[in-house]
Amino acid sequence: MLHKRLYQFLIVYLIGLSVLLGFKYGLSLSDYVIPGVPMIWKAAEGASGRYVADTLNTLGVAVVGHMISIFLATVVGILGRRRSWAGSMIRAAAYNIQAYPIVAVAPIIFILLGDGPVSRLLIAAMICYFPLLLSFMGIFSEPVKDIEHFFNATGRMNWRLQVKIRAFENMRKLTTVIVGSATMAMVGTIVAEFIAAANGIGYSIRIALYQSDLAKILVALFYIGIFTSLYLFCLEWAGFRIEKRFETPKEGRG
Amino acid sequence: MRKPTAIRIWAMVAALCIMGGMGCKQQKTREPQIPELAYRLKWVFNTSAAGELYAMEHGIFKAAGLSVEVKPGGPEKDAIKELELGHAQFGVASADMVIRALSQGAPVVVAAQLFQINPLQWIYRSDRTVIETPADLAGKVLGVTFGGNDETIMRALLAKYGIAGSEVELHSVRYDYTPFYQGKVDLWPVYRNAQGIIIEEKLRQAGEKAVFFDPHGAGVRFVANSVVTTRDMIEQQPEVVDRFISALLTGWEAAMDPANSDETIRIIHAYDPDTPVDQIRRQWAVTRKFVKPSSGFKIGTIDVSAWEETERIMVEQGLVQKPVNVRTAL
Repeated sequence: MLHKRLYQFLIVYLIGLSVLLGFKYGLSLSDYVIPGVPMIWKAAEGASGRYVADTLNTLGVAVVGHMISIFLATVVGILGRRRSWAGSMIRAAAYNIQAYPIVAVAPIIFILLGDGPVSRLLIAAMICYFPLLLSFMGIFSEPVKDIEHFFNATGRMNWRLQVKIRAFENMRKLTTVIVGSATMAMVGTIVAEFIAAANGIGYSIRIALYQSDLAKILVALFYIGIFTSLYLFCLEWAGFRIEKRFETPKEGRG
Repeated sequence: MRKPTAIRIWAMVAALCIMGGMGCKQQKTREPQIPELAYRLKWVFNTSAAGELYAMEHGIFKAAGLSVEVKPGGPEKDAIKELELGHAQFGVASADMVIRALSQGAPVVVAAQLFQINPLQWIYRSDRTVIETPADLAGKVLGVTFGGNDETIMRALLAKYGIAGSEVELHSVRYDYTPFYQGKVDLWPVYRNAQGIIIEEKLRQAGEKAVFFDPHGAGVRFVANSVVTTRDMIEQQPEVVDRFISALLTGWEAAMDPANSDETIRIIHAYDPDTPVDQIRRQWAVTRKFVKPSSGFKIGTIDVSAWEETERIMVEQGLVQKPVNVRTAL
């Protein structure tokens, strides 16, 4: 599964690079507009060590931000699953907060919290939180009638049991949305670093951009892709293990 | 019945279109061709584009037989790349951008130098920080945009005055001035003719006195905004280039003329309504010193030795691998 993920990324990256180089040679553009292969190679030789460290730094923040947003989305999803006024209020508030573009909110966050990891973490969580929240709300507010009916009828239903039933019955959906939002966590962290932080691969991209150095940006994109693929693989693997764990008793029962 | 009628209608429409097209073509051939040019600024509309805005508003480009679209720039806009891609025919770029582009084979040519003195300076509080000579930079916390030309200029300054990297603390700068306001950073880079005026005013309102450290005055000449075009434009349309540069510099001369200051400030304010008129007035006065240092000075003059010094600094700092012989692109 890991090598499949990496192959897929490499194919996409190489297609993108080929299109870019096709433009370069087709339109006879200089290395300043689109760098040639030797220049990209040289940039890779010079910047790889630093960029790997920067990407790992970014990935660390993205993973923590992702976990925070999963936790938040779970809490808000559980609270907002009720069809009451409070549930509706929480849903409306969650949607409204997301309506503000992160580029407008980010400067305020950086002014208040500085340009350290906390700001990056918050922005990463904010960016990947919404798709998680939408799915979690959908899952937690949709009754699993066949199973819940039994517990409702016997008077044994409580909110914990309801959440458990809905989560277990939609485990595949939950895993898919968590894996999907991981990419957004990475993107969110990079955007935060690009806007104002002083660390991470987003910051390095910003510096390369100041210097009009597309070769370095291409190298950075390569490492971002590799490490994001690795993280996605880990999540998929964890999801697969969890699914297996819950599938086994069912098979036993059958 | 219906089909032949429909065919006839379509045939008439096609004939009308062809006739219309021919008519337009004939009309076009009859009218003299007005070159349509795109001109990409380095930054958004503000006082640093006073000449361009003046030329545009007073029809100076039109009088020169040119149709010029002046496009605002920004942090992600690169005029040199746009020239090569054909999105613009002229643009504004700083010397470091030009030298980098030349080192990577871009066919860029400098047609005029707008700023004779680089407006990039460092603001500091005179009551907290004393800088009488550049050597006083030692021991200070200096704001720099890593990767930006202010970092290059600051490193050149430190090298020139023998200040080791360990003797100063470089602080990463972004758009947020909070670290400077909080006093965590002693010197903060600003464009003296733009943000410099605004920050100075804010400090004044807070009862603090701001002064500026000028690298140009300390002997580091690093060329700023210049007008660039492509080698193809120079070779294939020299007359258009001449007309454009002439119109542009006429606009700049008029915009920097004290007799036209009210009108220039009015125009700038129309394009930059967020900056109060009194601040634009002060920005204009400072810009004038950088663009036209003396009354007889001809705006647009290329300072070849300053360009060579800029190139030398960039080579020394490894920002370009080898000399590009920038003189050939001026």
